[in-house]
Amino acid sequence: MSEMNKNEALLPVENEKEMFEFANADKTLHDTKFETKPISYLHDCLRRFAKNKASVVAGIIILLIVLFAIFEPLVDPKSYVTGSDYVNGYRDSNFKNATPYNPLFKGTGFWDGTAVISNMKENTYNIRKLTDLENPNRPYIVELLEVNEEGGIFNKQKNYVVRVDTYAVGNLTEIISTSEYEKLLEYNEAQPDDQKVLKPLVDVNTYLEKARAKLEAEGVDASAISQLIDGTSGMKQYYQDNPSIYFEIYPVKGSNGRYTTTYEAVLDNSRKPINIYMTDENGDYIYAMKQNADYEVRVDYIEYYKFKNGFDPVFLFGCNSQGQDICLRLALGCRFSLLLGIGITIINFIIGLIWGAISGYYGGTADLIMERITDILSNVPSIIIMTIVQIQLNNNLALNQALGAVGCIVVAFLIAFVYNGWVGVSSTTRMQFYRFKGQEYVLASRTLGARDSRLIFKHILPNAAGTLVTSCVLMVPSVIFSESNLSYLGIIDFSTSNIVSLGAMLNDGQGKLSTYPHILLFPAIVISLLMISFNLFGNGLRDAFNTSLRGSED
Amino acid sequence: MRDTKSTLIYILKRLCLMIVTFVIIFTICFFLIRLLPLKFSPGPGDSEYIFYEIQVALGRYTKGSNGEYYQTPLLQQFFTFVKNLFAPASYPNGDGTYTQVSRFGYAWSSAIGYMVSPVEVLFNRMPPTIFINVYSIIISTPIGLLLGIYMALRKNKWQDHALSIFVMLLISVPGFVYAFFLQYLLGYANGGILPPTLEDRNEYGWFSPEMLSSMVLPVIAMSLGSIAGFARYTRAELTEVLTSDFMLLARTKGLTRAQATVRHAFRNSLVPIFPMILGQIISVLSGSVVIEQIFAVGGVGSLFLDSINNSDYDVFQFVGMFYVVIGLVGGLVVDISYGLVDPRIRMGGGKQ
Repeated sequence: MSEMNKNEALLPVENEKEMFEFANADKTLHDTKFETKPISYLHDCLRRFAKNKASVVAGIIILLIVLFAIFEPLVDPKSYVTGSDYVNGYRDSNFKNATPYNPLFKGTGFWDGTAVISNMKENTYNIRKLTDLENPNRPYIVELLEVNEEGGIFNKQKNYVVRVDTYAVGNLTEIISTSEYEKLLEYNEAQPDDQKVLKPLVDVNTYLEKARAKLEAEGVDASAISQLIDGTSGMKQYYQDNPSIYFEIYPVKGSNGRYTTTYEAVLDNSRKPINIYMTDENGDYIYAMKQNADYEVRVDYIEYYKFKNGFDPVFLFGCNSQGQDICLRLALGCRFSLLLGIGITIINFIIGLIWGAISGYYGGTADLIMERITDILSNVPSIIIMTIVQIQLNNNLALNQALGAVGCIVVAFLIAFVYNGWVGVSSTTRMQFYRFKGQEYVLASRTLGARDSRLIFKHILPNAAGTLVTSCVLMVPSVIFSESNLSYLGIIDFSTSNIVSLGAMLNDGQGKLSTYPHILLFPAIVISLLMISFNLFGNGLRDAFNTSLRGSED
Repeated sequence: MRDTKSTLIYILKRLCLMIVTFVIIFTICFFLIRLLPLKFSPGPGDSEYIFYEIQVALGRYTKGSNGEYYQTPLLQQFFTFVKNLFAPASYPNGDGTYTQVSRFGYAWSSAIGYMVSPVEVLFNRMPPTIFINVYSIIISTPIGLLLGIYMALRKNKWQDHALSIFVMLLISVPGFVYAFFLQYLLGYANGGILPPTLEDRNEYGWFSPEMLSSMVLPVIAMSLGSIAGFARYTRAELTEVLTSDFMLLARTKGLTRAQATVRHAFRNSLVPIFPMILGQIISVLSGSVVIEQIFAVGGVGSLFLDSINNSDYDVFQFVGMFYVVIGLVGGLVVDISYGLVDPRIRMGGGKQ
């Protein structure tokens, strides 16, 4: 500094040239060059941000979540499955509540698609154990953990604690078109023996007649028989509910000697179940039956799934109660949340900036009135705005058709978040303007005749930029939070559209929390990660932009 | 003397502004809620007649000459509502006698009740909210303050770093997420140690062990957030005060570190913290919508949601305004308390 002053003093003064003689006339003097590189403000911020390890990690996590949201649905074959059943996204009700499954962990008891059922009845256990004989590749019952005895001497009951494979759907009856049946036959032919899709059809009706005759022969009265066979918990219904059962079942006698509606398998002399497969006149099993233009087939569902969709049923994060893949939905939910969060932040930022700048710069009456307006706006609950906009949009047919189901929800969110979302930005901007507008450099500029717009955009805003950008970044998680809050409370009806929201996923999972916690676990983790990393990232930015902290951290 | 006078003038000014704000919010909310279609719910017994007659008395329907009912224009509804506030209307019973309608209208939905005045509904839903909030304040305030003090005294040591991470997590993670985790881990997993949702209030008394144990989870869920808030704030304030010159003076005078911290630093750092506690105490009356939903509390927060979902106009209007008043009064009280705690702060002081 002192060096420079000396140099300036040595510069020639023009009009009094003659009076002075140049001391160093033969030399040109220059400022000594800095040996270090100059650091711009942004560069400095970036350097200080990089020093903050937590914020950098948070930034990386945000980046990973963004990449997950963009690429998961592009890579996931499930998002390309189309069909009339999948209007609101891919689902397979056979895999409802399936637990997280990663093929790498198969058989470890963790992340392998199994669940522990703690109150399986003895009969159910025995029957499931027998049905597993038909699907040795993927048995439903993986492991018997414990047997508990319940009740007194007369009504002793065994309760089984069992680890079951939630992906072992078993064998189901499907009706498929002729062309598909031909393709299936071809596919089935090419499969190795232990992975055949088609299973012999089961002839339940013939067996039910046999059972009826047997019951009659035992002298059971007619009303009891019709209840046991055709009743709401009769054998017919039982076969329908458990299409995997391919053998004879028979009612069990209760303690009073009467038949009850619990069933057990009929075993032959070698303690094997007696199958009731449909046979033709040669005694061969029948694998398909023509019904009009379609075929009725009985398939091993996991193999059939591979045939139908071309990929294995693997749900990394499990499925929800409607059989939708949680991993895919998480990616879609992140997409929606991030887009909504960023979009709304930008809109709110622009409105809040303009509003706060005017209110802060001009002050006085304008400020007072504008402050009252923000006061009022911020006190009207957004829940009600949301509800009203949604109902009005749904009732207005023309608008509803123009926007579509997705548009209606997006517009409802936009209005509900924008109408008072900018209040925070505006008050921050206002404070910044109050802080800077009275400072000397602004006064100097004003004295030199700078216009208001120049003062606002060239002198005050750049100084406030750091604080404003930080508040902007911190607004993204708050929008995501409110969105998930509102959709968790069920204020927004997502069922009509294919929008996936993290909050709605939480809402799905809440009812199943006691039995299938994974439905809630993953959206909860993702939303927490989003919130934590955005907050850390924002705090890092705030510290980085705050030049007054420079040097204080070292 | 002059100071008291200016304070009073300031409070009066704020009160007037508050009333103006309130009236405007009231009007906006009135029109907004009535844009929702009114749901007809006949209620128990043969009350269709009563339902419509009450709607007529409340100004929402007009009875035509043929006995049919049609909706009254919104502006007219507003004037009837305001008129009813001062002079309650009445509806004919059909036999020549008249029954007076509640000043604030009636709740009319299965989730809230039939022909119950909003005041009664609100007071009925108040106890669980108040109990949970009070317990939560009793727990969270001391723990939060102590944590904050501890962190400030151990600044930049590992204890501070560990607790800071914990506090940051609690502040960032949405309340409902840790509410779910608490509910699953303590309420459902392995048979559950605590009841996952609030017990039925008709079955158990407020201070019965069953009720108290079922309140543990919602109280913890409510407390965690404010513990984190208090701890972070106290730490920030106290670290600032601890480095100031008067602390050095206090130490030089011969006070021990503990004495100096408690007598000088902590008392000074309480200045901004006290209004925060006060704000919490005022908000005792209003419940958290989400926490009440998760733990099936059935308090004021869920009443608000119920009233919107059922378009129960009167209940919404009453409860919504109740929330607004709490918010406005809370803001005013907190602002005034700044001056009470710290005489250096003069309310409504000039712009200098």
